[in-house]
Amino acid sequence: MAVPKRKMSRSNTRARRAQWKATAPTLVKTMENGRVTYSLPHQAKVVTDSAGTELFLEYKGRKVADA
Amino acid sequence: MPTPPKGPRLGGSAAHERLMLANLSAQLFENKSITTTLTKAKRLRPHAERLITFAKRGDLASRRRVQAVIASRSRTNKSIVHELFENIAPVMAERQGGYTRITKIGNRKGDNAPMAVIELVMEPVSPKQAVVKEAEKAAAVAAPVEEVAPTEATETAEVAETEATETVEVAETEAAEENKA
Repeated sequence: MAVPKRKMSRSNTRARRAQWKATAPTLVKTMENGRVTYSLPHQAKVVTDSAGTELFLEYKGRKVADA
Repeated sequence: MPTPPKGPRLGGSAAHERLMLANLSAQLFENKSITTTLTKAKRLRPHAERLITFAKRGDLASRRRVQAVIASRSRTNKSIVHELFENIAPVMAERQGGYTRITKIGNRKGDNAPMAVIELVMEPVSPKQAVVKEAEKAAAVAAPVEEVAPTEATETAEVAETEATETVEVAETEAAEENKA
């Protein structure tokens, strides 16, 4: 089995990892109760109560599943 | 019937895929709604809907065909076949296909697999879409005919949605312009 001859330096490791980039997801902008909200397209959203507790998942006004 | 998918089977082999689809559809008919990965849900949809079509036919031959898929090994699954034929099929009687609904619910924690909920559409068929389609057809027919059509179109538009009303209004303005010319 082929094995690395040398230990990879910290610098090389970090140089490789520096290329990892996060991409921003594409969001859709909708008006909900007079407030602008951003959400992932074509995906159910979590409905929360005023305290922020997750209640259930909803898509197009229809309850989909429990959170 | 949709074309069979190319590429790898679910679970590795054709036999494994067949079993998985049978189990998934049995659970779907038992629970009316199941959470699974998006890939499995998409593969399940034509499989399950075909079984529902058999159930709507409702004769002994089709019942045996469904049993061969769902309850070939497990006798307990025969109750699911009964449930499908006695409870689900009558609900779907008015519906011409599209018996299931897939909703994406984001990625799974752990392996980041895209998940979905697939459920049976048990609601009665809404007459709204049919009315809208009819109104649009009426508006399309009304557009070339000048005088008689607008009155008819407005009558249908009262029943129909605002969208249809807009098309009728457009048709009316067009007719008016033609009259001027």
